[in-house]
Formats: sequence, structure tokens, C-alpha cells
Amino acid sequence: MSHSITVAELLSKIDAGERFLLLDVRNDEEYARWKVEGRHPVDTVHRPYFDFIEEESLLDAVPRDRGPVYAICAKGDSSDLIAEMLRERGADASNVEGGMVAYGEYLQPVRVPLDTDEAGRFEIWQMNRRGKGCLSYVIRSGAEAIVVDPSRNIGEYERFVAGLGAEIVDVFDTHVHADHISGGPSLAPRHHARYFVAGRTGMEATHDDEQIQLGGPDGVTVTVKLLATPGHTPGSTSFLVGRNHLLSGDTLFVASVGRPDLGGHVVEWGRMLFHTLTERFAALPDDLVVLPAHYAATSEIDANGVVCGRMGVLRATVPELQIHSEAEFVEAMKNAVTTPPAIYEQIIRVNLGERTVEDSEASEWELGKNQCAASMRRAMEAAS
Amino acid sequence: MKQLDVRGAKCPLPIIKAKKEIDTLGVGEMLEILATDPGSVADFKGWAKTSKHAELREQRTETDDTGRTIYVHVLEKTA
Repeated sequence: MSHSITVAELLSKIDAGERFLLLDVRNDEEYARWKVEGRHPVDTVHRPYFDFIEEESLLDAVPRDRGPVYAICAKGDSSDLIAEMLRERGADASNVEGGMVAYGEYLQPVRVPLDTDEAGRFEIWQMNRRGKGCLSYVIRSGAEAIVVDPSRNIGEYERFVAGLGAEIVDVFDTHVHADHISGGPSLAPRHHARYFVAGRTGMEATHDDEQIQLGGPDGVTVTVKLLATPGHTPGSTSFLVGRNHLLSGDTLFVASVGRPDLGGHVVEWGRMLFHTLTERFAALPDDLVVLPAHYAATSEIDANGVVCGRMGVLRATVPELQIHSEAEFVEAMKNAVTTPPAIYEQIIRVNLGERTVEDSEASEWELGKNQCAASMRRAMEAAS
Repeated sequence: MKQLDVRGAKCPLPIIKAKKEIDTLGVGEMLEILATDPGSVADFKGWAKTSKHAELREQRTETDDTGRTIYVHVLEKTA
């Protein structure tokens, strides 16, 4: 019998509502900062591993009547020890391989449903980085694929695209990310692919409305159109894929908009965001499917497992889109300023190509969930 | 003061080794631990709270010759 499970297995158990106990053995600080989440509540007991090392009899207090025990820690070694100690005492206990680091890096590929006229011509895969709430995309037509907003663990994309029988031809970032290190600069050259993000040093410019034909020798094609959508950052770009899907980056989310304050110019960037949302996006049809680069809560994942929303629905429901004056919008954005992502200034410098970072350090930087959405609710809670 | 070098070791080893070392000390003796895992800071804080035999007297960071950050934890055997 195997004494460990992968993060993918753990998440599929949570999403399926399986009965088990998650024993989180990290210290109090790390536990308070960040926890495993899924589409159902996770039955969790928290007790740091060093408590069990200090007092082994505490192992007998771990409940055995709530299903099998899966132990998790930061990197997977301490929880492996605790799971083994539990088994020695007769419990059904396994370790979650790689711990929270693996949880933070795991990508779940989910296929985005297409309308009948487009299905069969191309595919859009939403790569859900569940631990971070980061979404990246693989668009495949024929033997060619585009990767948008890849995270650092580029091997996952390479294996996935190879599995589709395609080759990566273009790599894009919708903007210079502030919450995670982009995999784009390392992924693109390995495939002689073009890499583009607005603002990075030495980057060849694309232009608004540029169109890319994606497809293979069999003639299957899809048009990907670049739209300049400044606001979250001045260079933010959205991608219209085929007729009906928009990769909106951090410009528009399913339940919010991208915060325009991370560059320290909340008024100027807030105005740009207002004009993007009210002018550029106003011209897009109601049934357009918006596919963002982040989500804040697992409730945003729909029945197909996809994080998305129709433009018409978002227009009617996203609180920031109910504001129709520029001055009021900018004021709301100023008030919505919350804690910036950890070490975001360093992450931005890496993504701009101004400095490099070791993989182990990048992993520490990226711990925790993204905080890229403007949150009026969080701001109100903080003020009250 | 006794010194325990766990540089390069990942959790749970620093705590396991420190506990073994503390068990050999007499009450009032001090143990200085050198670690490189940033997670050791909160771990030693938490463990010292749980332990009935040791208290945390000091935590500081130093830089070694190679520019590596060293997390220094000083424990006292109290019971």
C-alpha cells in the first residue's frame, strides 16, 4: 500500500467531497497564512509536527473516525515523519507529497467548453494553479500551441502541450505579474517560440489589434487578436481567441477588477482602467466568455471546473462595473487599496528582466494566495 | 555554550536534533543552533512554547562567508 498521495489526488478527493482528515503539521504562522482549499470544506486538524516530536502521545489524540488521515506540511518531510509515526500506532495515515510547496505549484488542466461552430477547430485549456488562484492558458489548434501567462514550473506546460501533440509557437504574458514569477522568459527559448510581455526590457513591441493565426499544416486555424487594455498595468494586454473567448488577464475578473495601485500611480492607472472597462470592453458582446488570470474563491469555479463569466453577466454583477463616473471609480480604487502581494516589487523586477532569482527563493516568494483583485469588501472590513 | 550545526538540513531534522541535544544538557545550560532553513525561525519559537524542558532565549540572523543567511537560535534547558 502506498503511504503517500499527490496534491492532484488530494484536490480531486476534496472536490469529490470524499471523507478524510487533513492533518496540517506546519507551525502556527504558516498555517495562519495559507491553507489547502477545494470545492468543498476540508475537514482539518492543525497541530505542528514539533508538538508530536515533543510529546508522542499526542499522536493518539488525532481522530481516527473521520476517514483516512492525510498529513501535510510545508515541503513534505515533516508530515512524512508524522504519517509514519501515526501508522506505527495503527492509524491509516499517508503523506501529501511535496507539501504546501507542491500545492502552490500544482497545475490542473481544465478544458474550456466551446460552442459547436468553434469546437473541433481549436481548444482552450485553463491551467488552474489551485494553490495560488492563478490561471494560465494553453490554446491549441492543429500542431501549434500558444501559452499565456505560464508560471515558473514550465515542465508542466511542456509535458501537457506535448501530450496534445502540439508544439509551442508563442508565449505571452498579459502583463508584468506582481504576484508570481513568469515562466515565459525561460519557456519560449526552449521552443524557439516568440515571447511577449509589454514593458519588459528589450522586448519587441506588439501593436493593438495585432492578429495571430494559429494552426497546423492541416489548415485548422484560429485567430488570436491582441487588445490593449491598460489599467492594472499600462501595458496590460487581453487576447480575443476565436469569436467568443477573451483572456482578460488581470484587467477583469469574474467577481472584481484588477487593482491599479501596484505601480504607485493609482489615480493615473485607475483612469486608464476605467476607460478600458467602459470603452474598450463596452464594445464587446454580452455572450463573450471572459477567462481571467486569477480568481479569489473556489466558488468562482463553475460546474465544468472552469473559472469564467459571460461579459453581459459581469457587466451586471461586478461591483466596480456599476460605477459610471471616472472620478467615483478612481476614488473607489483608492479606497480598495489593500496589502500588496508579498515581495511584489522584487517579483516585478524579475519579470521585467532586471534581476534573476534562484528557484528555491522564488518558491518562498510565491507562498500564499494571490491578492491581485481590487477588493472593496476587504477594504471596508479593514476600515470598520 | 554548546553548539549544534544543522546548516543545510531541512525540517524536521533541526528540531529532532535539537531535542536530542537538549535532553543531554543540565538545567541552566545553553544550546546555540545554526540553521539555514527560514522555516526554522517559527518552528523553534513554536517548539520552545510546547517544550517543558527548554526556553528560547534569542533568535538572530547572521551571514556566513558565502553570503548565506544563517538563522541562529539560542535555547536554555530549564527543567
